[in-house]
Amino acid sequence: MDNRRHIHHSRHSGFSYPTSLWSRLHSAFTPIIVVVVLFIILRVAAIFPVVPTAISPDYIGLALLATFIRLLIAYALALVISVPLALLVVKSPLMERIFLPTFDIAQSIPVLAFFPVVVIFFLHFGLTDAAAVFIIFLTMLWTMVFSLVGGLKIIPTDIKDAAKVFGVKKFDYLRRVLLPAIVPSIVTGSLLTWAQGWNIIIVAEVLRTYIPGGTAASDLFGIGSVLVDASANGQNAVFIAAILVMVAAIALLNFFVWQPLLHYAERYKFE
Amino acid sequence: MDPVIDFKGVSKSFGPNEVALRDVTFSVAGGEFACIIGPSGGGKSTILKIIAGLEKETSGAVVKPEKVSMVFQAGALLPWLTVAENVAIGLRAKNVPEARIRTEVARQIEAVGLRGLESKCPRDLSGGQRQRVGIARALAVDPTVLLLDEPFSALDPKTTEELHQDVVKIWRETKKTIVMVSHLIEEAVSLADRVILIKNSTVEKIFPIALERPRRENEAAFAHEVLQVRREFFK
Repeated sequence: MDNRRHIHHSRHSGFSYPTSLWSRLHSAFTPIIVVVVLFIILRVAAIFPVVPTAISPDYIGLALLATFIRLLIAYALALVISVPLALLVVKSPLMERIFLPTFDIAQSIPVLAFFPVVVIFFLHFGLTDAAAVFIIFLTMLWTMVFSLVGGLKIIPTDIKDAAKVFGVKKFDYLRRVLLPAIVPSIVTGSLLTWAQGWNIIIVAEVLRTYIPGGTAASDLFGIGSVLVDASANGQNAVFIAAILVMVAAIALLNFFVWQPLLHYAERYKFE
Repeated sequence: MDPVIDFKGVSKSFGPNEVALRDVTFSVAGGEFACIIGPSGGGKSTILKIIAGLEKETSGAVVKPEKVSMVFQAGALLPWLTVAENVAIGLRAKNVPEARIRTEVARQIEAVGLRGLESKCPRDLSGGQRQRVGIARALAVDPTVLLLDEPFSALDPKTTEELHQDVVKIWRETKKTIVMVSHLIEEAVSLADRVILIKNSTVEKIFPIALERPRRENEAAFAHEVLQVRREFFK
């Protein structure tokens, strides 16, 4: 009841962002909570069956869900980690001279070059899903970092000066100025990183290639492994159905997530 | 009256080959309306930035008050915040209680004639309205000195004239010290108590303007003052 009254008052007076301590904490920790919950779902919940020896169309929806959750976790991690990395680059000209070329070299190293090492490392701890998520995350990370660096560098000097003059510092500066200012870059960066994620998913899920003596049973259940298995077993109908489902999912994501987000990001752009 | 701003032999360099200010000496008294004019690249904005604490002088002595706020040339409003939220930003940074923020924001929005636009975003406003939001934001923190960095340079003549009148009204009512940077001689003479001409990175001359307000550009005394400044400006 109190909350409703508060929100009504806020809209009327032109104040719309959260002001209570709980709301502030809530907004700050939401991304972290989402990542943790998704990890728990992936690790604990037995929603993914053991990869069936003969893939059938019945599993395609579930395979897509498994792949989607992997992409989502990798994306959330890439987003959370790319923000401090991008902030580090633009902190000072010296930092930029050090970190920009470092990150450029890091992004140039083909992610698949060290995938076998990553797989063996994670397998040692029994974390096969984490191996795939890590590879997808690395694929997404640098694109997001460079997108955010671009966004941070185009913040007008007047805006930064205004923040200083009005005493907006440290965490407040990050929360009220820097993060909102890079919303358009986050959205465009996300579009690119998800495209890269879909691209890498096939190699990330088909782990048998990287495991000594690996078989189809070593693969992770997902749309990527379904595609590979269907292709290898000559199940053309399953292969085509999986492709169509994936294309439909990408199209729906674009229509219902990215397009509205691109539109929403317009209000964060400097004129 | 004691000066609230005092520059004594102030110099500022951005590296060995880029001198922005050279031996600048002037003062501004409390409640005074001073206008700094001069050719582009002469160091006007650097003076304002030193007063605002955005730049540090390389040498010389600067006396300035703690509470300084600023209206920026292009508004420098945060596009994702509403008018009310933009005006409130300085108060929030100072952790002013929410109830007081709301009262003060409403008061400043009323004072600059933007009542009813509290929930609008900057992109929904005209250039003049945006500068009014900038003025309200600057006044909301109750500064001792209000700095105006060419705030009217991007506006049409009618809006500029309206804002001139508003600024003079605010200055009279609040008795704030105002330091404005402009590149227009007529604007400086029309608004200021003193016009400080900056040329070649230093103070060329200071002109006291003793005309009654409101000042009209078609009056002979006004034209005479403009001529005096113009002679030095283009000399």
